[in-house]
Amino acid sequence: MENSVFTISNLNLHYGTFQALNNINIDIEKNKVTALIGPSGCGKSTFLRCLNRMNDQNDKCKISGNVLYHSEDVYQKNYDVISLRTKVGMVFQKPNPFPMTIFDNVAYGPRCQGLKNKNQLYKIVESSLKKAALWEEVKDRLKESAMGLSGGQQQRLCIARAIAMEPEVILMDEPTSALDPIATLKIEELINDLKKNYAIVIVTHSMQQAARISDNTAFFLSGELIEYNQTDVVFTAPKESKTEDYITGRFG
Amino acid sequence: MTNRTQFDYELEELKLSLIKMGDLVIKNIHLSLKSFIEMNSDLANKIIKDDKIVNQFEYDIEKDCMRIILKEQPVARDLRLITSVLKMITDLERIGDHAADISKLTVFMEKNNKPYLVPQVNKMVDESEKMIKMALESFVNQDQNIALKVIDNDDIVDDYFTEIQHLVAEAIRQDNIDADYAIYLMMAAKYLERIGDHAVNIAEWVIFSIVGHHRN
Repeated sequence: MENSVFTISNLNLHYGTFQALNNINIDIEKNKVTALIGPSGCGKSTFLRCLNRMNDQNDKCKISGNVLYHSEDVYQKNYDVISLRTKVGMVFQKPNPFPMTIFDNVAYGPRCQGLKNKNQLYKIVESSLKKAALWEEVKDRLKESAMGLSGGQQQRLCIARAIAMEPEVILMDEPTSALDPIATLKIEELINDLKKNYAIVIVTHSMQQAARISDNTAFFLSGELIEYNQTDVVFTAPKESKTEDYITGRFG
Repeated sequence: MTNRTQFDYELEELKLSLIKMGDLVIKNIHLSLKSFIEMNSDLANKIIKDDKIVNQFEYDIEKDCMRIILKEQPVARDLRLITSVLKMITDLERIGDHAADISKLTVFMEKNNKPYLVPQVNKMVDESEKMIKMALESFVNQDQNIALKVIDNDDIVDDYFTEIQHLVAEAIRQDNIDADYAIYLMMAAKYLERIGDHAVNIAEWVIFSIVGHHRN
């Protein structure tokens, strides 16, 4: 597909003898929100982690097939994983700010990349926090600990931290499941705003959230990609009966 | 299998309400034509009054649909089913209005000494009733074939209308029909023809609820 950032073909993943992903073929488009839905253990988070090689730490994990990021296989030998992870950021279920100041959290990535110029760092921190819709709430306490922020603010800080690396893709694994409805709404509005500049892939257990915020929806079941289509098609007239059974809550 | 017992129960109740509304509407059409043919103003007035019950059905079902949407946040076939019900009740309510319209003609006519009865009107009403019944049956059984048959049957109703038009025109030329009666008869026939169209609309919404796209 012309607008694809990721093209995944024939992707299989085993944890030891257990096959967690079975022949996945999917394209991730830029400037779109792609939602991954499915019951627990269906492989959606495993799939998400394949996109920036977060499964590498697991010795039992064996992968075959292609995960092409801009036509280059991220699993090829000598592929620069560090560079991949700057381009493909990740936000987790539970907000995980580092135990340091708000400023240092956002500046962490650029500093690791060797940036020392204070002015430049400040500019990156400011623009990242603005893009994450957190700036107005924290601009007067950048030197305070990030641990003092609310859950919703911490999650937006984590998004700012990802944005500071100027990524192209942001992966989100249930980013609002630990947040209250207001904080959830803020993150959802932020996602809608962020897709102007980034491709977003989000794992969510909330059908309503997937329907609200995503452009494309992929339904996973038992390690297989059952259906991948435009979100309005999936939630009004899905092609597969398994998808329909799952999203209407008559599943098992 | 995960159950959504309460949700499924509410969807069944919704279908049941729609059937009840449909039955009442069919009864009203039938009696409205009877009142017209027999020039029975009492019966006609009763139907005009009963139209309020049809309207109440529409209001109640609409409220139920909104409550279910709010509570259950339906998607896919459930969403299509509820959307279809919301659209179908509008057509059923219109059919009810036309039954009341025909009854109003009866009241206007008072005692006309020279009724000009044509069998095609009875056939039209039979066919329209059949179409509504089939449309509702296709909905309850989610049977696309029956719905498609309803759409085809509209031609029969339209043909009867054309026949009546020719018969009345000829009767006018022959001076066999009272001028007022001719107008009222044609109006009644037109209402019946519109009822057929509404039955088609219902059938089209049934197809939407089954396959997910609206028939053009």
